[in-house]
Amino acid sequence: MSEFSLFHVLEELSGPFSSPLITPPAESAELATLLCGVIALYSVIRIILEPDVMRKLPFLNVFSFSISGIIALMIPHPLGVIAAAAYFIGSTFESNAIASTWAGGVEE
Amino acid sequence: MGEKRSLLSIFSNRCVSSFRLVDNHGSQHLICFRTKRTILTSMITSFLQIAFAAVCCWVLFITIDIIWALPREGGVVGADAIAAAVEKAGGDIRGGTMMGNIVSSPDASAGTLLAACGVYCFGIPGGLVATVLVYIGNRICYDPGYAGTTGCFLATFMVYLGTQGGIPAEFFIAGMVIAILTIQGISHRHSSRLLGAIWRLRK
Repeated sequence: MSEFSLFHVLEELSGPFSSPLITPPAESAELATLLCGVIALYSVIRIILEPDVMRKLPFLNVFSFSISGIIALMIPHPLGVIAAAAYFIGSTFESNAIASTWAGGVEE
Repeated sequence: MGEKRSLLSIFSNRCVSSFRLVDNHGSQHLICFRTKRTILTSMITSFLQIAFAAVCCWVLFITIDIIWALPREGGVVGADAIAAAVEKAGGDIRGGTMMGNIVSSPDASAGTLLAACGVYCFGIPGGLVATVLVYIGNRICYDPGYAGTTGCFLATFMVYLGTQGGIPAEFFIAGMVIAILTIQGISHRHSSRLLGAIWRLRK
């Protein structure tokens, strides 16, 4: 009975982080992730130190590039690219909204 | 009872197997027996590959953005405001306009990044899916979407050729992040002047 226990069933199940489409990230992917993380930290420091609001936004763009790269590198699954693209497009749209609002909006 | 593994250990093994950051605590030899290379030389090779990928991505996305004339005018009001702020800080107005356009809409740089992500996750079909997503994002952000779609489509094949030539796709992701860092993240004054000079060269 113990051979067919719940644990064996659980090991065969596929979940979001254990589907057969996922291979564990290679060491080169870990190096790339580390590099993206360092660049994200750097851009956050630059955002904090920058006094001008409009010039904060390019650093925010670098930050969202790094984070969407990390998302895709950590989820090597066909849906990972959709997650990365959705995050990136959303953050770009927010930057667009912040910049346009700060600049005074659209004049009629 | 043959096995005494708890539910928690199964789940933790599963999590660790997909996120193994540190797994060679002295178990790995410093010199690889098969290739006779040390870990140091393989890391140097990796960094050279990342630098090469960064240069490729930089040239690709600057070329496509200049071809589609992003420095000519701001697509939205926010892009013009960013250009004015960069000019006030001592930069070039054309380069600042291009930086504002990159911030406020997914252009060829975003296309290159998402194409590299798509090729990394799913091969060439992933890159084409990323192209469709970039086009949707361009339309959301009030942009015609020529630069982003073209850049993503061309970058898919560039990254695929790179993987065939021995540079893995994840290095192109890191290389694209480095390339956007050189434009947007180090010195707005110098990078906008560089972009303005390239734009005047094109005209």
